[in-house]
Amino acid sequence: MARVIRPSWLSRGVLFALLVGVACKADSKQAANTFRIGVVTSLTGSQAAFGQAHKNGYTVAIGELNAKGGVLGKQIELVYYDDQSKPDQAVQGVAKLVDQDHVPIILGAFSSENSRAMIPAVTAKKVPLIMPTATADNVMETGSPWVFRICAGSGGYASATIDFLKNNGAPKTMAIVYENTNFGQANAKSMKELAPAAGIEIIDDEAYQSNSPDYKALLQRVKAKEPEVVYFASYLLDATTLMRQSEQVGLNPKFVTSAGTGFAVAEFPTDKGAGKYAEYTLSVAQWVPSAKWAGSSEFDAAFTKLTGAHPAYHAMEAYAALLVAAEAINLGKSDQSAAIADALRKVKLDTPFGPVQFDAKGQNPHPLLVTQVQDAKYKVVWPADVAETKPVPTPAWADRK
Amino acid sequence: MEVKLWQAVQAILNGILTGALYSLIGMGMALIFGVMRIVNFAHGAFMMLGMYATWMLFERLHVNPYFGFLAAAAMLFVLGYATYQGLLRRIADRSDFMQILLTLGISLILTNGVQLIFGADYHQINFGLLDINVRLNSHVSLNLPWLLAFGITLVLGVGMFLVVMKSRLGRALRAIAQNRYAASLMGIDVMRIQALSFGMGLAAVGVAGGLLLPVFYLYPGAGDQFTLKAFVIVVLGGMGSIGGAAIAGVVLGIIENLTSLYWGNEWALVVDFIVFLLVLSLRPSGLFGSQRV
Repeated sequence: MARVIRPSWLSRGVLFALLVGVACKADSKQAANTFRIGVVTSLTGSQAAFGQAHKNGYTVAIGELNAKGGVLGKQIELVYYDDQSKPDQAVQGVAKLVDQDHVPIILGAFSSENSRAMIPAVTAKKVPLIMPTATADNVMETGSPWVFRICAGSGGYASATIDFLKNNGAPKTMAIVYENTNFGQANAKSMKELAPAAGIEIIDDEAYQSNSPDYKALLQRVKAKEPEVVYFASYLLDATTLMRQSEQVGLNPKFVTSAGTGFAVAEFPTDKGAGKYAEYTLSVAQWVPSAKWAGSSEFDAAFTKLTGAHPAYHAMEAYAALLVAAEAINLGKSDQSAAIADALRKVKLDTPFGPVQFDAKGQNPHPLLVTQVQDAKYKVVWPADVAETKPVPTPAWADRK
Repeated sequence: MEVKLWQAVQAILNGILTGALYSLIGMGMALIFGVMRIVNFAHGAFMMLGMYATWMLFERLHVNPYFGFLAAAAMLFVLGYATYQGLLRRIADRSDFMQILLTLGISLILTNGVQLIFGADYHQINFGLLDINVRLNSHVSLNLPWLLAFGITLVLGVGMFLVVMKSRLGRALRAIAQNRYAASLMGIDVMRIQALSFGMGLAAVGVAGGLLLPVFYLYPGAGDQFTLKAFVIVVLGGMGSIGGAAIAGVVLGIIENLTSLYWGNEWALVVDFIVFLLVLSLRPSGLFGSQRV
């Protein structure tokens, strides 16, 4: 008899699932008076802080855009998919957003790794993807006509750093310390390609496993090679551990440089990050609140009102990505993916992140800034024409108060 | 040449300091495995709870983490006792597979529950003590927080070892580890002792979490990697041997630091697991004897 019961439970389950499905469908029909844009970002997992920055950036942008009437006469609605900081989930996000939510355009993801993983999926589904923050250059090397990138890439990070070094003491030797991920490897690769031409020899090349409590042996190894420059590619958590432990092992390069990211977030120079160990570190930034582009300080104010803290450039990039998406939708006068992609190629928009115009490959040629932490604040020190102040030489740990 | 020698000394000392924390995490898991034959896949998640408890005390009540860890340990002891009585007890006689599912489930609930309550943001604490380095000579220096953690770990580790080897409770623990049916025939309340040992195992990992907080950082997934590490330590130490786990933790710390120094940090985990696989295949009873608990 028990056998008879089981299929009946099963059928009830199926019925329930169907009902839920129908309810969801009804929901999505109700929402037809809004214009849906898909967002994939890391709301949970190890990169959740950056995902949250994205979300806050989008929130500021959508408030402004909807106040101005949204797009094509509809209010914009963002449909978020949390990729849990995992590439496979980012790919699932594309399927879910396109097949179930029917969004014509997607923004995301946060990390290079996740963004790279999404590209085959958006290409197959013929949906344009705007990448706000993926700096690894391999995200632009797939040849896909559906990808657009707002931020400057790892090649830009390396060349901005080298340009700064050439004009500020021209050091001869460098160690690269990077996390063993797409982001870290891409930045290390760009530096290895570009440094020799500037007369900088790479004397040490250290990949590391991220999220470890102990990097002292790694830093000892770097110290033994005595590089004049150390170039870090790390997320915040590791950036803090690396700087604290640099002091512990007495690693004293003349320049501590970095590929932004962990060394360029608002918390890093504060007590919530490396604090005083962040002092004198150089970083490449896509944007700072004091940037000269019109709207920067307004964004800073709106973001600070929303979150209680100043924005780092990741939030600005998300903000700019949504402005650009809205511009393209209005320009193409269509809710179809192909028309939006065509319009993206024609977009010319001045944003607080700087002018945005995609080249033939979908890359926005965004200029980078070199910043230095001085008195717990990021100060633009290069290029000279936009610098806020002069770079300060890095004293040895033992000579600091 | 001499500089190179000092470098190795420094790496080994750092390895011992890091390894001591690994030991404490591993000993907790070894105790639980020894007495219950359960691999606690929620071990790292419980450690993360210990870190959050210590962090809350520091942020809200300004309790120094080097006292706060005691509260974390007490909290985890109670939680462990309750978890055993409420959940683990019910599956004590079921298959290993059930136990893996249950502890993995607990781990997911803890990690995501904490994320719901505290958010996914990471936290760090900073206070003056963290900046102090003890210089032994011009080449070797040790960071005070790690030294403190080592000292506390040493005291607690030895204490735990003595409890297990000398006390009445310890004798009951070992009896259950050897044969729980015979132990219950000898008048030992197996359920109660298992609940106590689960509590003790979690208290140990809570201490480790509290001590790690000042030198690490905190987010809901912070403990995850340590579950695997603890498992490796338990296997190296001989499936359930507490003394073995203590030594295995330190050995692992030293191996990691020397690998990082000579081959590079990206090899540290690789070497960890090569050692793990070698021990599993060549000496399944673990590096340090086969005696359980």
